[in-house]
Parts: sequence; structure tokens; C-alpha cells
Amino acid sequence: MSKSSETMAEGKERYQAGVIPYKKMGYWEPDYEPSATDVVAMFRITPQPGVDHEEAAAAVAGESSTATWTVVWTDRLTACERYRAKAYRSELVPNTGEGTDTEAQYFAYIAYDMDLFEPGSIANMTASIIGNVFGFKAVKALRLEDMLFPVAYLKTYNGPATGVVVERERLDKFGRPLLGATTKPKLGLSGRNYGRVVYEALKGGLDFVKDDENINSQPFMHWRDRFLYVMEAVNRASAATGEVKGHYLNVTAGTMDEMIERAEFAKSLGSVIIMIDLVIGYTAIQSMAKWCRANDMILHLHRAGNSTYSRQKNHGMNFRVICKWMRMAGVDHIHAGTVVGKLEGDPLMIKGFYDTLREGYTPMSLETGLFFDQDWASLNKVMPVASGGIHAGQMHQLLHYLGEDVVLQFGGGTIGHPEGIQAGAIANRVALEAMVMARNEGRDYMNEGPEILNAAAKWCSPLKAALDTWKDITFEYESTDTADFVPTATGTN
Amino acid sequence: MSDTENATAEQNTEILPEGASVNLQEEFEQSQVQEVLDKLDRELVGLVPVKTRIKEIAALLLVDRLRRQFDLTSETPTLHMNFTGNPGTGKTTVALRMAEILHRLGYVREGHLVSVTRDDLVGQYIGHTAPKTKAVIKKAMGGVLFIDEAYYLYKPENERDYGGESIEILLQVMENNRDDLVVILAGYKDKMDRFFESNPGMRSRIAHHLDFPDYSSEELEAIAELMLSDLNYQLSADAKKALHDYIPLRMKLPHFANARSIRNALDRARLRQANRLFADRNKSLSKSDLTTLDAEDFLVSRVFVEGKLDGDPADGILNPVSMDKTD
Amino acid sequence: MAMSNPGNRVTQGQFSFLPELTDEQITAQIKYALDNGWAVNIEYTDDPHPRNTYWDMFGMPMFDLKDPAGILMEINDCRKTFPNMYIRVTAFDNTHGWEAPRMSYIVNRPPNEPGFKLQRTERDGRSMGYTITSYAADKPEGERA
Repeated sequence: MSKSSETMAEGKERYQAGVIPYKKMGYWEPDYEPSATDVVAMFRITPQPGVDHEEAAAAVAGESSTATWTVVWTDRLTACERYRAKAYRSELVPNTGEGTDTEAQYFAYIAYDMDLFEPGSIANMTASIIGNVFGFKAVKALRLEDMLFPVAYLKTYNGPATGVVVERERLDKFGRPLLGATTKPKLGLSGRNYGRVVYEALKGGLDFVKDDENINSQPFMHWRDRFLYVMEAVNRASAATGEVKGHYLNVTAGTMDEMIERAEFAKSLGSVIIMIDLVIGYTAIQSMAKWCRANDMILHLHRAGNSTYSRQKNHGMNFRVICKWMRMAGVDHIHAGTVVGKLEGDPLMIKGFYDTLREGYTPMSLETGLFFDQDWASLNKVMPVASGGIHAGQMHQLLHYLGEDVVLQFGGGTIGHPEGIQAGAIANRVALEAMVMARNEGRDYMNEGPEILNAAAKWCSPLKAALDTWKDITFEYESTDTADFVPTATGTN
Repeated sequence: MSDTENATAEQNTEILPEGASVNLQEEFEQSQVQEVLDKLDRELVGLVPVKTRIKEIAALLLVDRLRRQFDLTSETPTLHMNFTGNPGTGKTTVALRMAEILHRLGYVREGHLVSVTRDDLVGQYIGHTAPKTKAVIKKAMGGVLFIDEAYYLYKPENERDYGGESIEILLQVMENNRDDLVVILAGYKDKMDRFFESNPGMRSRIAHHLDFPDYSSEELEAIAELMLSDLNYQLSADAKKALHDYIPLRMKLPHFANARSIRNALDRARLRQANRLFADRNKSLSKSDLTTLDAEDFLVSRVFVEGKLDGDPADGILNPVSMDKTD
Repeated sequence: MAMSNPGNRVTQGQFSFLPELTDEQITAQIKYALDNGWAVNIEYTDDPHPRNTYWDMFGMPMFDLKDPAGILMEINDCRKTFPNMYIRVTAFDNTHGWEAPRMSYIVNRPPNEPGFKLQRTERDGRSMGYTITSYAADKPEGERA
């Protein structure tokens, strides 16, 4: 380990009682090269006025690892140099600071020895990385942008319970995006009426229907009623089509015991998939992933809550970090953006999320917001889910931006179809199959998309009705979370 | 896959009206067939009659393509060929280039060459041959299937031979899948003639017969120079003379296989050169030492010394490099 | 009697909601698989149960092919041999991280698709056990179509 005497105080001086700058405590090591067993975190730091950015980086390193506000002699009873996180690089974020409208921000790289973290525990790792440090006064704002996990550390996680490959094999569905829809209205349907929506959508041609994130067990529908009626619908639809069908039964509940009870009931009814919300917490997510692995169950995660900390550029954490943690924690599905729909999403940023979920190795790619070469250590792939304000008329864009291994969720786009739910499902499935076929035939489907859809609409009246109904619907807003390294077009087209 | 793929295939599907005109020269340039013909000229010394025939075939196909544009013809012409000639006369190389020409003119989709012999097509048990032959055909589709010594498919002396089954399947495919693949049969002229006598169906499906003449000794010398320069070797003046003497002697001996025998002779000479350099290994070597073959590298050959072939086991060290034991 | 879903047919595979694929369309899809370096396999069955994973193979998966014509030839052979069966084309990807099918689509169906029976078994409370069976597989294997 290299030490720069200019930055670190030596011997007696270092451990004298009192307060000394973090840089001097050894949390700033500009010569340090991360080892193959270091976890590396990259933060966007906005220092308080008057605080040197290297000191701010050192402070973040200190607060997220071994340090406290003052010197403690008990450090000397440990191999403290090893356990100290090391900030080794801090650079001005492009288009911030003097001469811009944004106050100076810095990208700080901090290396943590793997031994700082309990194996296989997202909770333990995050308690350090996004723990106290985010409320620390020396920084005005702090955002966790990306993390690099060594293979040795990744291997302490099981990863996705099922993974894209086995999910496809279980469902017997290959070579095309999967189709889903969220039952609407979100709240208020009785179990019996709820199951009607599921049956119509699945029989019409969708692969999955989904509970909404806030459908658990409310006065209008007890969870057992929902499960019973939904599984009647799923099995009827399966028998009517010869396809494996599914409904993400949301097992989110107030306690872990209740969640397991609901999951067990879903299994006893023959469901292929259950669902949880991000708000249940990392430990609960990992527990459910282990349960799913042991019970041949696909695990769908709704990212409810993430935008409270992922959306603003200067504080919180980037969604790509959530993607990484969730792949480690072991979910099979995660909502990760649509590019063209109603929710936040810059095309390049979303490509970064999708790559993080689906690739075996993601090389550093600043334009998609990936700051590290990440080897995924053969952890299963996670299926991203695109949901929120998308419809059949965007099929070419969806296939182009999101690829083939994705669940496209057309909630309103199915249930709001003027000719009914089955017709909505048919429209989506026909649009999807026609587009995949055109892509495979080598056509320029991105440009010829509308033409391809119109040709299919000639013989498929539900598709024609869908195209007519939603032809003008686009959501063109500026994205707030965009790449720092290249000027990018945002929104649709 | 060839980089000119886009220049070919289905580009001429539209039927031209009666009064339209087309330019043969433009079509020819667009097809980039000349490149392949040039390559063939560079690669293969001599073979003038073969090269002329290939140009004729290319011209025929080009005109056929134009006739299609005027809707004067719609059938895919039969393109299966028969290459006869002694070993080492360039049949395989020409087949490779032929595949490329057919691809550039749009008569095969991929332009690859799958080269097989009887063993790849015929099985040893009942039910074994059809899948074997079919697997080869499937691999060759979109390109050219080259069957070397095709006459071994037919063994009339053995009633239970499965070769006939393979021939049957080939015949079917040669007739029904003319759009999908071109078959080139190859072998000695006399044996091939006998094969066609017993298999008239096969003969009737062959459109072009190309006979590959043996090389003259001058041509073989030129071939030797070409091979050596590809390998970054050269001949000293004396070595040139030695090779010049060697070739006619070798041609008279049995198992002479044209260019292949020359390749083997050169391989032996390279081995001898290496041993010569090694024997004097304290001497420092120049680039020229490493690239130059001397007369002695040829003159120790048994072809000179005993008027016999090299490659007898008694030759000891000179043996392992031999590519062809009988040569 | 036909099945009751919108297309009155088993909707497994990539293209079951489109009109029957023509030979040209099938060829284009095979080409896509070959260009990706995938091996193509032809499989057939008389029992399209959604969990009947192992349809019978019509020959071995075809590796190292350059051109779709040979595969189309096999498909047509298979259709001729089993005109009343379901036939599907599957493309296998052997790259690390996949090692699984990447395409699967139906290229032949029986003229009559009887569909599936849903059997319910009542259990504790309102709980239900579900079993799906193929009507086509009702008869012993040797006595079907």
C-alpha cells in the first residue's frame, strides 16, 4: 500500500487526541491503485463552500468506513490502514463549477477493502456506503453514482433466483419480448372483478398480468381472494391458449412472516411468479430471493420508492446502483425504464441500466453512465421491465431501445382498448410479433415501424383500433438524469 | 462471407420493359467478376484452356442474367460441373474461384466451397448414408459442393455398397435445388468417363466439363517460384539450375502429381537447407542465408542420385517432412 | 371444435398471432438464426401441452450451416412425414451466459386443434388445484392421428 507523507500525518502526530483533517488521517491516497479485492464506489460530491474537494472526498471515505469525527487511540489495535477506505481520485464533473450555472461537483473514487463487508449482505454493505455519510455536514450534497464489485465479493451472492435464461425456458417463450399489463384501476376492484381483467388479458395474448405495487390486502380485496381468483384466471387462460401464463402476485406485506405465508399460498395454487416492492428493504428482498430459489419461483420487483433518491442529479443514488444491488440480491424482474413512456428515462442512461441487468460483462462506458468495467461473475441475468405510458404504436421504438429480453407492460394500452381487454392484448401481441419478424428479416424496423404496424393493422382490426386511439400519445419531457460526458438528446423519437 | 455480397443476388428482380437497354460492360464491372479472374491468373500458372472456359461460363451467366431482366428466361440454368485432370492440376483452387464467381453473379447465395470425398457422403451401415449425404448437402447449400474422386461413390463390384444411395440423393438435389447449390465433381478423366457411362443420370445433369491439362516443366518451374516467394524463400542461381533439371526427372517417375509434387520437393529442400544451416551452427546467419535455397538442397535428392523417389523410410531424417509418402 | 382463444389455435412460439408463415418468411427467420451463429433444430409432437418440453427431434440439430435452404428442405420433409402434428423450429445459442434456445416458432399444425382440458381439484377452504391436459393426448400414443 502506498502512502504519501505529504497527505498523511505520521506516527504520534496522527494519533494525538483531537480533530485533524480526514486527508491527514489517511483517507486520501492519490497514488492508490484499487486491488482486485477492493469494492470501489464513485460518488458525486458537492462540497460545502470553502471545503477543499479532496478533503471532502477523504471525509466521505472516512465516514463510510472506519472514521469518526475525532481521533481514537483504539484504531491502533487494528490493521487500520487496511480497513480505512481510500479516496484516490477526485475530479471536477463536466459542466459544473466556475463559468456554469451549476455549483462545482466532483466525481470521487473511493476504494474499500472487501473485508469491510459481510459476505452476501446488501444491508451490511449499504449501511456503510449509503449510511451516515449522506447526512454528513462537510458535503452539501452527495450522490452515489456507480460501484465496482470484485468477482470474489459477487460470488458471495446467489444472484437472481431464476434469471432470464431459465425464466424463458420455464415459460417456453423465446426470441421476443414478453408482454404484460398491470391490472387497472390500481385500487378498488374486488377479487372476482380483478380476476376478470387477468383472464381477458392473458387469453387475449399477454404472457403476464401484474398486481400494482400498492395492491396488498386492503378492505376492498383480501389478498387470499385476489390470489384465488387470479389463479383461476391464469389457469383458464393457459388451458385456452396452450401457453404458460402468469400473474405477478404481490406478496408485499407488513412482516416477513406474512410475506412468506402469501408466497407459500401462491406456490400452492401453481403460480410461476410472485412480486415484491423495493420498499420492503434489502434484507427482505434477499430473503424472498432465497425463498424463490428454493421454490422454483420467478421473483418480480417493483421499484416503488426509488425515485425519492434516484431522480435528482446532485443527491441520492443513481438507479444503476440499485440495478447492481438488485442483481446481487437476486430478483428476476425489475422495472428499469421505457425511454418512450411516461416515467423518467434518458435513452443512454436506460441502456446503462439494461446492460447492468442483462450482460455478463459491462465495460466502462461513460456515455451510458457506467464508470467501471464490471465482470458479473456469471450471476444470472435480470429481466428488465418497461412499464408506464407505453402502447402498441411505439413497438418499433421499444424493440429498438430495449431489445428482446424485456417485459413490455401495456397497462392502459391493453385495458383501455376501445374494443375491450382481449382486443387490447391481441393488438399488442400482433404488433410485437410483426415487429420481431420484421427485425429478424433485416428490415430497417426503426424507420419503417409505422409502416410495419399499419400493414399488420390491415388484417388485425384490434391493432388498427389501438393505433387510431393512441397515435398521438407521446411523453416529451426533459430527463433530469442524463449523462455527464456527452450532450444527449432526451425523451422520445 | 465476401465483402461484395451486396453487389449480387437478388438485385435484378424487376422485369425491364421491351424498349429498355442494358450495358453488358457495366453489368460486368458491377459484378466484380474480373477481380476473381485476375486472382485466378495470379494464383495459377498456365491452365489457359481452363481459364478460357471459365471466362466463357462467366459470360454465359452474365448474358443469362440480362435475359432474365427482359423476362426472356426464368429457369435457373444448370450449373453443375465436372473437373477432370490429374492430381495437382489446380482443380480445387479453380473450384474455389468458381464459387466466388457464381456468388458475384448471384447464382449462389453465400459462395462457400464444401469439399468432400466418398467417406464424407457414404455410411457403413443401413440408414447411415442418407443422413450423412444430407448433412453435407445442407452445409453446402448456398455455395458449391466439390466432390473429389466422385467415381468412388459408385462401386458396381459390391452389390451392397451404399454409394448408390448417396448418388440418388445427390441427383435429386442437383435437379430440385438448382437455386440452392452447385455441385462440382472432380477426378481423373478416364475414371470419370467410366463413372458417367454407368450413371447417365449424373452425366445429364452436368452442364460444364472442364479438363485440366498437366503442367509443362516450364510451368512447374514458374509454380515453384510462386510458391517460394509466398513463403519468403528464393533460389540461388545454382539452385535454379538444379530445380530446372529436377523437374523433368521427377515428371518421369511414378506418382507424379503436378503442382503437389513440386510443393513436396520444395518442402524437402527447405528441410535440407535447415539441416545444412544447423550443421554449421556457429556461423552467424544473414537474412539471405535464411531465405536462400542452394543447389545442394536439391541435388542430394534420390531423384538425382538413384533415379528413385525420395521419401523411402531409409531416408531417415528426410522423412518426417514428407507430405506425401509416395512422392 | 376449435379452441376458444382469438386465433382458435395454440399460441406458443414467436409468431402464432401472425398469419401462417410462408416458406420465404420461414427462410428469412432461419437466416437470422444462422447469421447469429445459432444451430437450428426441427421438432414435432402430437401433444402441445404447455409443459411438454421435449418434442421429438426430426434429426439432429443442424450445426455450421451457411444457408437456410437445407433447413427448409428438412422442414418440408418433416411436414410431409407428420402433416397432422405440431412442428416447431428452434434455434440454439451456445454462447456463455445463454446456452439455451433463442428462437422458437411453429411451422406446422394439425388441421384440428382440440386444445386443453382444465381439471379442478377442490382443496382446503376455497383453494384449488389445477391440472391441464391435452385432448390430443387422450388416446394412447400409438393410436393418435
